[in-house]
Amino acid sequence: MTALETRTRPAPPAAPHRRGPRIPSWLTRLLACLGGSLVLALMIGDQEGSQTDYGLTFRKQILAPRVFAFLALGVLLFLCVSYWPRIKPYLTRPGFWPLISGGLAVLASITLMHWFDQAGNGKFGAVSDAVSRTSGISPIATAFYGWLAWTMLVVSVVVGGAAIVIGLRWLAFGVAALAVVAAVITYLAHQAVVDFTGQPDHSLGYLVSILGYIVILSGMLAAGLSHEASARSKHFVTRVLGFRPGLPLVIVGFVVTLLSFVGAAAWFSPSNKNTSLSETHDLFASTSINPFALNYLGWLSWVVFVGTLALAAAATWYRHRLLGWLAALAGAASTIITLVVLYDISKLGARTKFDGATGPWQNLGVGGWMACGGLFLLGSAGFVVATSARATRRVAAGTANGSLSGSPNGSGPNGVSATGSVAAADAAPATQPSPGRRAVGYLTAPGAARSAVLIAIAAALFYPPTATPFWQQVVVSEIGISMLLAAGLNVVVGWAGLLDLGFIAFYAIGSYTTAYFVGSLPVKPPSWLHMTPLLTIPFAIIACLMAGVILGAPTLRLRGDYLAIVTLGFGEIIHLAAVNSQSITNGAEGLTNDTGRHTKSVPNPSIHIGPLHIHWGLNQLQYWYLLLVFLVVVLLAFRRLEHSRLGRAWAAVREDEVAAQATGINTTKVKLAAFAIGASTSGVAGVFFASQIGTFTPDNFVLNNSILIVAYVVFGGMGSLPGALAGAAMLTWLPEFLKSQVPSSDRLMWIGAVVMLMMIFRPAGLIPARRRAAELSGLDGSSSSETRAVPAGEGL
Amino acid sequence: MTVTAPTSEVVFDVRNVTLRFGGVTSLNDVSLQMRRGEILAVIGPNGAGKTSLFNSLTGVYTPQEGSIMLAARRGDSPTSVVGMKTHRVNQLGVARTFQNIRLFPALTALENVKVGVETRQRSGPIAAMLGMPWQRREERESNSRAYELMKRVGLSGRANDIASSLAYGEQRRLEIARALGTNPGVILLDEPAAGTNPVEKRELASLIKSINAEDDVSVLLIEHDMKLVMSVADRIVVLNFGEKIAEGTPEQIQRDPVVIAAYLGTSAEQAESQADAQPELRLIDIEPEGEQS
Repeated sequence: MTALETRTRPAPPAAPHRRGPRIPSWLTRLLACLGGSLVLALMIGDQEGSQTDYGLTFRKQILAPRVFAFLALGVLLFLCVSYWPRIKPYLTRPGFWPLISGGLAVLASITLMHWFDQAGNGKFGAVSDAVSRTSGISPIATAFYGWLAWTMLVVSVVVGGAAIVIGLRWLAFGVAALAVVAAVITYLAHQAVVDFTGQPDHSLGYLVSILGYIVILSGMLAAGLSHEASARSKHFVTRVLGFRPGLPLVIVGFVVTLLSFVGAAAWFSPSNKNTSLSETHDLFASTSINPFALNYLGWLSWVVFVGTLALAAAATWYRHRLLGWLAALAGAASTIITLVVLYDISKLGARTKFDGATGPWQNLGVGGWMACGGLFLLGSAGFVVATSARATRRVAAGTANGSLSGSPNGSGPNGVSATGSVAAADAAPATQPSPGRRAVGYLTAPGAARSAVLIAIAAALFYPPTATPFWQQVVVSEIGISMLLAAGLNVVVGWAGLLDLGFIAFYAIGSYTTAYFVGSLPVKPPSWLHMTPLLTIPFAIIACLMAGVILGAPTLRLRGDYLAIVTLGFGEIIHLAAVNSQSITNGAEGLTNDTGRHTKSVPNPSIHIGPLHIHWGLNQLQYWYLLLVFLVVVLLAFRRLEHSRLGRAWAAVREDEVAAQATGINTTKVKLAAFAIGASTSGVAGVFFASQIGTFTPDNFVLNNSILIVAYVVFGGMGSLPGALAGAAMLTWLPEFLKSQVPSSDRLMWIGAVVMLMMIFRPAGLIPARRRAAELSGLDGSSSSETRAVPAGEGL
Repeated sequence: MTVTAPTSEVVFDVRNVTLRFGGVTSLNDVSLQMRRGEILAVIGPNGAGKTSLFNSLTGVYTPQEGSIMLAARRGDSPTSVVGMKTHRVNQLGVARTFQNIRLFPALTALENVKVGVETRQRSGPIAAMLGMPWQRREERESNSRAYELMKRVGLSGRANDIASSLAYGEQRRLEIARALGTNPGVILLDEPAAGTNPVEKRELASLIKSINAEDDVSVLLIEHDMKLVMSVADRIVVLNFGEKIAEGTPEQIQRDPVVIAAYLGTSAEQAESQADAQPELRLIDIEPEGEQS
């Protein structure tokens, strides 16, 4: 929808002095819309040209009704743009945007997402085919997968839109009721299918669909209840989130936990058997399971749940700090209890070699993890209450302080800044003593940013166990590692403003350092230095620090593009060195279990400290939690660094190097620090990579990967730590997601399209850095860092 | 206020400095002494080499000939700054502002000042990542010092605003606050009044005087606004075409025929006779306030 908004800017008037026939602007607009829709129509579906018949694809597209649907969309877009002033007032009616975004969510879930993994490719179409072929399945499911799903979506969006445009309150309430019914039917139909087959299920399509209907519901309620002529959703969201900090977490936690307890969510799912909480209790009732776990499965879970919920709800409602801490404690305790029970039942299952299980944590269903996530969120709500109460008070003290030491009114000419700083101070970590900045974006309500972070943590902790093995592998070896790399490069590119196109070289150095110290390379370390992979981390960091300094020291007086080219060369040098030094790195073959050349794969990591023995084997989940530890340590450290003396010095160098020098900043030293810190993060990622994958070749460290990491950082938002992580996650998730959506040869084209659209409509990235957002929002166009590539001394 | 420099101690001792860019001579055999505690103004027509002089003094440019000795703070022994890195010169106690404002536009006003304050601190990245107590203490100190300086230049209400959103005059004052944050012995102001309105100019004049008097900071000032120069400067150096053509108190400079000629573009003799005939051709009419000597 941003497309519409940006097009509203008045087009520059055609130059009056231009000769020749003038093409009317509406015609060019129409052609652009039609051309765009044609391209989109061609992008979708298989590309079927052959060497003898190049036009095959096009004829197929033309013959298919699809192309006409897309052309119609183009015309619709043209009409929207042309009659924008007339349409615009309707778009700001209360409830309109929720209706549209909810409808889009449902549409996406039906067209793109998995509904049931065991049926064909798992998507909605495949499931509905399977359901129509099966007899004896519940009529709700037959109807839903047959025609009801689409009908409900179209009816609710069209009628809801009409209700908003005409302003009929009763109709809006009707659509709200329909949305509730639709959400319930979606849930029942999905459960009916899963129950019918009894097979494990990892799909999320039904959840997103239900979420979409809930959004539609909220929109229609807003349309029915509100008396405003126009609504600003940003303010609305801020107000809802700010009503009671932590309340959204309580609601989400309550729903998730409840679903895991009462629904058909499987707690224990050996093949062809999904057992819900009570069924699991019956299953284990006659076994030798530890009585505590049995009680939990029977009734204790409910006591724990209700107790935590009551504490969290009370703390949130009364904004009581002590209650908040208690709720946080209860949440943590109940999560741990649930984990212990899960361990017990899966261990017993493994001991009886039930369904081929070899150890604990196997054959567990989605339900247990959902319960953990929900209880964790309830505890998080308490934490948010406890900490945001403190944050509010601290800011109040800060303002009082400001007004004592300054002008009569601390907020003076800009009242915005006062409210903004409350939110910003809250969004900032508690360790950040500097007062907040002007807040930008949705999450300005107190506690909202923290809630978002806690939801992300809950998802990071408890979602991966419920995913399919394929996605677990993606999460570890794609998403996790690139997040670590992006966090490192963000220091160099985002904070210090140095474009580094050879970042992958440090990753290579980290990997090869590990391989050396564990004795996997043709060159062996002295025997007393032989160590396990995790112990090589400090050595990898030192090696990368040194490499960073060696690269940086002679080249950092270069600026911008010139530095980028030098780093590019450095990346290539490292890659070629790895390829060519046969006797050291085993050349292009890389690490193999090759006894002739005395290479072997890097062993998997393990820890043996006192009674603690952990060995990372083939289970991807284990690696995920190890990676999570790395990530958390790096993030906490970088978060502090960003708001420290060095972080500000980086910003100063990035903004204006001459002024930074004149202010007494040793720019070379500061830039070197950025290079070294970024490089060592990359080195840690290299250690992890080497010990997880075992064998690798120099081709893992080519230029392409360096550029991808830069893309992650830019896509996510340069200089924003959450942005860099989100960008890395998004851009590594997208190719994997597209595997099941588009023909494999089209995949890169789609990714390219997404990146292009993103950069056009949201140049500051997914989660822009506050500083950068301020720059790009036009407060000061001329002085953004891109437009000031002035060499030292010039223009002084 | 007192005007005559009370001490003969020298901050900057510039001797026979010549600076060339290829065939263009930007400074030609310039010598001047800046005394401790004084406000010294450098004036001259456009292109006279004022900013080149500043850049030579701060290590941005390296003059081909001559020496520049610096003893910024009281009790420092004179050090040569020729060929020294800019940030080293700054650490020796020389702070400066820029003719075209050079703030860090995307940082908040407070952060701009903190950058200046923190160049005098020691804690490193490891301490920051671990949140060591001494690092936190330094952070608190930098915060309170920066607030203090913001208040000093009259910007305490705007601490959390993005620097580029400040008004022009406020940005100029913020630059001064950032320079003061580095705890200098001498501050070089490059046209601080450019683009400011008369009220702001008056405030600026009193700010400069108070920096000089209360903080014991010597001030070297480039300024085109003669009224401001005459009201704050203890002594004035006049440059023209890269050469020093006059030096003296504001009174002397106003009467100096060579200076008038340089500004009017006529010969010295003509200017002298004109000045005698038409007193209004003096550079500016200032009401002698207080005990101007």
